[in-house]
Amino acid sequence: MNMVVCVKRVPDTSESEVHIDGSGKGIDTSRLSFGINECDNYAVEEAIQKKEALGGNVTVISLGDKQSDEVIRMALAKGGDDAIRLEDEAFAGSDAVAVAKALAAAVKDVEWDIVFTGALTDDDGYAAVPVALGEILGVPFATYVKKLEVMDDGKKVKVGRELEGGLMEMVEMTTPCVLGIQTGINEPRYASFKGIKQAARKEITIKSASDLGLDASDCGEAGSWAALEQFTPPVVGEMAEILEGEPDETAGKLAGILKEKGLV
Amino acid sequence: MFELTEPLKMLEQALRPYCEKELSAKVEPLEKGEVAVLDIMRDFDRAFGINAMVSGALHEMIERKCRREREGIEEKGSLQEVLAGEVGEAMDPLLIFIVMKELCRVSPSFALSLGAHIGLCGQTILAKGTSDQIENYALPLFSFEKLGCWALTEPESGSDAFALSTTAVPDGDFYVLNGSKTFITNAPCADIFVVYAKIDREDSKADKRMIHPFVLERDNEGLSVGKPMHKMGMRGSPTGQIFLSDARVHRDQLLGKREKTSRSQAQETLTSEREENAAMAWGIIERCLEESIKYAVERKQFGMRLIEFQLIQEKIARMYVHLENVRNLAFKQAWAMREGRSNILDACAAKFYAAAAAVEVGMEAIQLMGGYGYIEEQQVERLTRDAKLLMIGGGTSEIQLLNIAKELVRDKGLSLSLTGGLRN
Ligand SMILES: Cc1cc2nc3c(=O)[nH]c(=O)nc-3n(C[C@H](O)[C@H](O)[C@H](O)COP(=O)(O)OP(=O)(O)OC[C@H]3O[C@@H](n4cnc5c(N)ncnc54)[C@H](O)[C@@H]3O)c2cc1C
Repeated sequence: MNMVVCVKRVPDTSESEVHIDGSGKGIDTSRLSFGINECDNYAVEEAIQKKEALGGNVTVISLGDKQSDEVIRMALAKGGDDAIRLEDEAFAGSDAVAVAKALAAAVKDVEWDIVFTGALTDDDGYAAVPVALGEILGVPFATYVKKLEVMDDGKKVKVGRELEGGLMEMVEMTTPCVLGIQTGINEPRYASFKGIKQAARKEITIKSASDLGLDASDCGEAGSWAALEQFTPPVVGEMAEILEGEPDETAGKLAGILKEKGLV
Repeated sequence: MFELTEPLKMLEQALRPYCEKELSAKVEPLEKGEVAVLDIMRDFDRAFGINAMVSGALHEMIERKCRREREGIEEKGSLQEVLAGEVGEAMDPLLIFIVMKELCRVSPSFALSLGAHIGLCGQTILAKGTSDQIENYALPLFSFEKLGCWALTEPESGSDAFALSTTAVPDGDFYVLNGSKTFITNAPCADIFVVYAKIDREDSKADKRMIHPFVLERDNEGLSVGKPMHKMGMRGSPTGQIFLSDARVHRDQLLGKREKTSRSQAQETLTSEREENAAMAWGIIERCLEESIKYAVERKQFGMRLIEFQLIQEKIARMYVHLENVRNLAFKQAWAMREGRSNILDACAAKFYAAAAAVEVGMEAIQLMGGYGYIEEQQVERLTRDAKLLMIGGGTSEIQLLNIAKELVRDKGLSLSLTGGLRN
């Protein structure tokens, strides 16, 4: 069974303060550390586990600049076989749909039964790429996949989708299909020393928009359905009360409010 | 030369989350002796496939040695060769440095034990052992089935290691070992012991007796070990005594199986221990600096962040200078090793500087955090206690200085003695 796994290099914003940059359309990433998008890490693991169990090939694809090689190589070190990186100035300003168009074009040149993506990204968080990709490729898709079983020699899969409140929706679908993987579906491995050595020598194929057969109208803002207007910090609404002061003060105030409202 | 190659960067990136999540969760039980250090090594092996990487090369080495032995040629094996793995390309010495550095950011104790297991015990067997000795004793070390230790130091001979008094008296196909070893990393739980002893033939004069490494297993009659010692630092690394009381070992347990006539044997391994020291200091310093910056930016006194005080800025700036120097030393050493240009002078200078820098940075990190730095929750307290070992183990700082001076005047035809004056 052949698999494609799409990965994205994203800033780690879990432990740092996020500031809007000068353009108002992005965040200042100069002080942030980057790594593989969390869900994608699970997607990579899932693809590799399925390859180990059933045989086949895993192709890693990422849309991004040279720095994305770092996350691609790590996926190769864990067991990926081939890699393609999509890079073109024309891709700048792409929304989820335009990204999906580029990925779909890249996938067309590869043999595959399942395309794995992360369910959503840590930076934009639209959770739209797997859906758009499934639509464009015209195949069944599922998101928030937290269980995956391959059946009938790979002709079918049974997936568990994680819904609100821990509910698991079980769906059967035929392959080829697109699966947006949720964290927790498996336990991602570390890249082995040997894998790292081997990954360093593997080639990453670079493809531009024209290599993919895409027109300018398919890419970037032109190919997008949504355009990013502006980032703004949350505005203080009428119902909101912002507590000011040192943490020990604000914590005390917060505890007082919660008690007053009978919430604790 | 001062940049990590792509695979080494990846290695660092792969090790960091492992150390911060998995290893870090084991630090407390390890320090308290609640988990076995070998179990953590096994976990480390499961995560990164050390055995899978080296086993092919190990078997190749065994076969090659075996062929050579039949031709009557003795050939050395090395850790470098094994770590190059099946991929076969020359191993960058920085690989070991990066592993040691990343481990030391979280647990210098674990790094010390792993270093003794692979770098001292394993390396000595590879370098001096015959093909079947490697098969019997090194394979189980690299597969993490058994824990190794390397025993040179004795109660009466530390810095003056070659004055050791453990004896091996030949008796037919056997040697009978008597004596004791102390401060031996991993000894309390070790399965495989590389032990240095003086071969004592009736006819040999006391000062002509050669020091040789023997390899023993835990169940060897006459071998026993003491309980783990309570130490200032490195508490996660069991340290202890070994007692040899009429321990009979077969001729086949003499590493290399043939008595040698040179003194340089133990010394070679000591050099490699010195080299790993800079990498250990690097990890401790890097972590202490990071923790210090984080703390100085968050903590407020007098209505200001600590980092706004210039005396705090000085501390942090000085820590960085040490980090920069120690990192450069590690890169320089790796380069020298790659080029076959390592020398005692620079290795001693690097060990001396790096060990002292790690202790100083640790102490300053504690100071910067005040009371919070002095309590256990802040990792810097433990890292600093651990750092102190770097000034003692593998040759004390004083011995490094003596060796530096000795090397510096060697070309003047002077041979300085470690006890002052000239050697006769
Ligand atoms: C945690 C730990 C782990 C260890 N692991 C191992 C191990 O795995 N295997 C092993 O074989 N050993 C091991 N050692 C032993 C270590 O190598 C010795 O402790 C070290 O070599 C110093 O010897 P010593 O403790 O006997 O000190 P001594 O040699 O007694 O030195 C005491 C002091 O005198 C100074 N001194 C000694 N001689 C001179 C001189 N000529 N001029 C000036 N000053 C001098 C020293 O620098 C030191 O300050 C370990 C030690 C520790 C603490």
